[in-house]
Amino acid sequence: MASSAVSTERTISVTVNGTTYEREVEARKLLIHFVRDDLDLTGSHIGCDTGNCGACSMIVDGTLVKSCMMLAVQADGATIETVEGLAAGDELNALQQSFSAHHALQCGYCTPGMLMSATALLRENPHPSDDEIKKALQGNICRCTGYWNIFEAVKAAAE
Amino acid sequence: MTTTTIAPEQVEQQQETWSGQNVPRKEDRRLVQGQGVFVDDVKRHGMGYLHFVRSPYAHAHITAIDVSKAEEHPGVYGTLTGEEVAALTDPFFQIASVPGANVKDYALAVGKVRYVGEPIVAVVAETREAARDASELVEVEYEPLAAITDARHAQDEGVPTIHEDAGGNLMWNGVYEWGDLDAAFSEADRVVKIDELHFHRFNSTPLECDGALVEYNRGTGQWTITTNNQFPGFAIIMMGPAMRVGLDKLRFVTQDIGGGFGNKITSHPQLVACCLLARKLNRPVQWTEWRTDFHLSMSHGNERWFQDTEVAVKSDGTLLGFRTKALDDAGAYLRYEPLGGVIWAQVTPGMYKWQHVRVDFTQVATNKAPVSPNRGYSRMQHLWFTERVIDIVAHELDLDPVEVRKRNYIKAADMPYTTPNGCVYDSGDYAKMLDIALDLVDYAGIGAKRADAAARGKLLGVGIGSTLDSGTNNFGQSRLINPELQFSGNNEVATVKLDIFGEIVVTLGTTPQGQGHETTAAQVVADILKCSVDDVYVRAGHDSYWNSHAGFSGTYASQFAVTGLSAVKGATEMLREEIFKLAGAIFGGVPPEALELADGGVRIKDNPEAFLPFMACGAIINANNAGLPEDLGVTLNCRYVYRPPFEVPDVERKYGNLTLTYAAQVHVAVVEIDPETGYYEVVDYAAVDDCGKRIHPQIVEGQVMGATAQALGAAVHENYVYDEDGNLLTPNFYDYHVPHALDMPPLKTGYVESASPFTPLGTKGMGEGGGAGIHAVCAAVQDALRDHGGALVWDSCNPYHRVWEMLNDPTKGARVEVVAQ
Amino acid sequence: MLLREVAYAKPSSLAEALELLAADDGARALAGGQTLINVMKARAGSPDTLVDLNGLEELKGIELGADGTLEIGAMTTYTELMGSSEARARPILGEVCAQIADVQVRNRGTIGGNVCTNDPTNHLPPLLAALGAEFTILGGAGERTVSAEEFFLGVYVTAVGTGELLTRVRVPAGRDDGFAAVTLGVDGTCIVSAAASLNGVARIALGCVDAVPVVLTPATADGDAVRQAVREANLQPPSDVHASSDYRRHLAEVLAVRAIERAQRS
Repeated sequence: MASSAVSTERTISVTVNGTTYEREVEARKLLIHFVRDDLDLTGSHIGCDTGNCGACSMIVDGTLVKSCMMLAVQADGATIETVEGLAAGDELNALQQSFSAHHALQCGYCTPGMLMSATALLRENPHPSDDEIKKALQGNICRCTGYWNIFEAVKAAAE
Repeated sequence: MTTTTIAPEQVEQQQETWSGQNVPRKEDRRLVQGQGVFVDDVKRHGMGYLHFVRSPYAHAHITAIDVSKAEEHPGVYGTLTGEEVAALTDPFFQIASVPGANVKDYALAVGKVRYVGEPIVAVVAETREAARDASELVEVEYEPLAAITDARHAQDEGVPTIHEDAGGNLMWNGVYEWGDLDAAFSEADRVVKIDELHFHRFNSTPLECDGALVEYNRGTGQWTITTNNQFPGFAIIMMGPAMRVGLDKLRFVTQDIGGGFGNKITSHPQLVACCLLARKLNRPVQWTEWRTDFHLSMSHGNERWFQDTEVAVKSDGTLLGFRTKALDDAGAYLRYEPLGGVIWAQVTPGMYKWQHVRVDFTQVATNKAPVSPNRGYSRMQHLWFTERVIDIVAHELDLDPVEVRKRNYIKAADMPYTTPNGCVYDSGDYAKMLDIALDLVDYAGIGAKRADAAARGKLLGVGIGSTLDSGTNNFGQSRLINPELQFSGNNEVATVKLDIFGEIVVTLGTTPQGQGHETTAAQVVADILKCSVDDVYVRAGHDSYWNSHAGFSGTYASQFAVTGLSAVKGATEMLREEIFKLAGAIFGGVPPEALELADGGVRIKDNPEAFLPFMACGAIINANNAGLPEDLGVTLNCRYVYRPPFEVPDVERKYGNLTLTYAAQVHVAVVEIDPETGYYEVVDYAAVDDCGKRIHPQIVEGQVMGATAQALGAAVHENYVYDEDGNLLTPNFYDYHVPHALDMPPLKTGYVESASPFTPLGTKGMGEGGGAGIHAVCAAVQDALRDHGGALVWDSCNPYHRVWEMLNDPTKGARVEVVAQ
Repeated sequence: MLLREVAYAKPSSLAEALELLAADDGARALAGGQTLINVMKARAGSPDTLVDLNGLEELKGIELGADGTLEIGAMTTYTELMGSSEARARPILGEVCAQIADVQVRNRGTIGGNVCTNDPTNHLPPLLAALGAEFTILGGAGERTVSAEEFFLGVYVTAVGTGELLTRVRVPAGRDDGFAAVTLGVDGTCIVSAAASLNGVARIALGCVDAVPVVLTPATADGDAVRQAVREANLQPPSDVHASSDYRRHLAEVLAVRAIERAQRS
């Protein structure tokens, strides 16, 4: 189907954490719903309906986005990274281990989005200052921890 | 950003135990990989997605409902209306005595809507989108009525009645009086009169909203409710009678819950709707609450006015007593209310030695979202009030708020301390906590900081917030609300067993939402069984089918460290006794005193080579039990019910112990106000907590931090504000600002460990004490304004515009009069 | 949270995009989506067709002319603007973009989206009005360039009509700029904002106090003259849950002065 054709549904091809999926989706379907419901990758979460909370954060074509403000059809051909792709098999990565060591999670609901935001930060800025860490996590709401342990965890993982 | 932790001097050097250590959390592995199972993650073949049609009016008669077009929409499986609900169910049990007892509350609005966002019709369809689309085709006709949004006018002549069956908007009233008010007021040197104080409406907005996936088994009449409700014990006693089914027909399953903070206790109306539809449609029904739905309809915290307060004080600042009229705004339905009308009494005098108290407590209905527990439930409102009183009295008498507190604090030597209404504070050293907190913000140097701020054009203020986190309820206090109720005491259950291969398996009755129950339970078990925490497997979450729960099971009200862990301790000690009995028999009649647990098994103390590993114990009992003594009485599957030592309170005198433990927190906030705009920042902050014996210090500190952050959000921004038509002006995260990473001040923490003499482990429940942050910020703002008009803070939420108003017009603060006697 | 049914197209050329927009009254351009998708989630607005502009290279790119003029493609994201070496010619642009929402929003949200939405609390309308920016609009009838006054017409309303697209924002050369705001939380939604520019004439634009940015040219950059200019504007700001009309009026004065002071210091 020509990309400029107007349609309420289309078939998209998306690569998530290294696996390529081809699915037919409605144009109105949000990327977060596509990943959670169509691909059964329920690690990314939904915490609000106004794009404020960041629980849905994932990396799309190398860019950190809130997937509740993208349509699935906009991700056609994209390479996506979610929390499920961070560990290498059974081995947690340094950031995941640091989160646990610093008690940077309690209920764990904001954690996948928080990890993706931290991942995006450290890729771009391997040695961020305290202020840079806070700025990078500003779009991720946590109600359990108060953020202080999360800052420590990201800082420690950077070192 | 830095956190500094001050260790207390008096804690003794511990033995090498798991308890007291920061062991890695068992929960983390799955959560950091996105492998947690939250309710919206669960899928069932053929499930239907539910969407609620919600009321656009705050108050209206429903004159017609037509679902026919919705039902014809492609993909729709069916609908449910209030009419059906009224035919299939009885109104939910009401905790209140008359008049609140007459409120009729159902799973969906019946005949009338009473708040914007109230569910009226449920639509179930093949996809989420189809349900949402079809719900727009439901036709509802309304006859709008005037709305009541101000509790102070809910009982005025001529205002609309929200629940006709209750005859008016009064839901409950009770007068509490202890000591001798007349004597106190005649002994006083001054009476400080405070016209009106207001505690605002907000909640903890857990990041995960409510939800459920409900399945109905036609053959057995059994519902399986996979949900994130945090108090299944309460949910089933509400749902069972309403649905006219036995409680065992309602199986609750939870695994990971994305925050609760009390806000996930009263989802039972929506769960009933799901249950009825699962049965009607013969398919699993899934409901996900969206953020706006949550803000509109779920669990607002108690909004409370304190009117005509009078405080009897001596010139030196000794507080003798107070009387006040507490007016509580319950919103449109009583779900867990009016328990808020008694729960504050767990902390009647706060941390202070008041002996003479009168609280005339009235709760009314309004056309706003129903109120139910929010972190600090009802105590927070009362403790904020007592802290405001301290700071206003200090201001009026020109005394130092630190000195007034120390003069009136209950002292460590007074513990255990019986309050005027018979509650027993178990332990604590409040003055010491205050000193630590003041030290952490360098209070001694505050003068220099004030001058420095002034040089930069800013007004600096320091404020203290003391708070008590009363934990482990005596549900007998409900009889002070309604003497006919048959509730009392409390309980929690744990089961610990050895499986065939000696695996140690623990099941809990609790529903953790991030408090690390799997981890702390394992620490307690490992200490008793003398094994590694890694050898203890604690099942995640809650399941009624485990039969590891009792009437009050759930995770709420600051109690796990007492109720849950005491149940774990009890079950593990039972298991240890059984292991000794079994080994004793196997070893040919060795008594338990001669045995000990070590190295993953049991051995004879004087002959360690006589060793039976747990694996052997488990195998023998489960699969190789021929020849064992007939009366051995060992199953290695031990279920223990912890029951805290409570009496039924004296309903007549409203006297008795209402909670078992009293954790404490003392916070100090330092703020800088920009006087040109009213904008302010918290520039320094200290939080000191004492929750008795800490099983996992990092988890405790995490709770203190999280509660602090929530309090800071509530103190400045978070507010459920309604217009006069009953529309919620802050219905989502866009307008209801919750703090994010850039909003956090530097935080310093400290702790004291005053073990509770009343609990098996010396622990105290904790987690709710964050109200302290609200008290501290209010006090700090007031302090900053002291030499700039001297407005007195009267509301618990002080956004920039309110601070600016108080700066410009100090009469906009609390109206206070001091009468000399 | 769930959108109504919508048709979607992703044109590969500007001409195609304009055709699609002209063909359907209910067609809307989808830029960063950081506002539009939320509007659609709330079902407050439901276009029939979304015309995705994210594939149009013609709308990307930042050019710095020899005279110091910046030509910014409408589909430039906030992050791209912040990272652009060309845009450093007018540092206030990156400085203000860095205050918008959070990194996720900045990675997708666009300059064009921000101005075309023209929400009174948006940062860029008052900023660009103060800088004297111009807006190039392309449609079936051709291309035209308009001033900020001609571009910002009302709440959510701009000069971009049906079948048209904003293609570029042109920012003149200059450096003495300032921005001040009181926001809901750090870098949150603006309660009142003020942008100031001292290139030649002192110009201030106030945000959040009216349907469109209120542009003032005080007699001098002196604090009293600035306050006078704000008072003479006779503002009637909206009252809402975050601020009363009086409070907004007061903040407008204070922030106008601060924006000028920051422009002087820059």
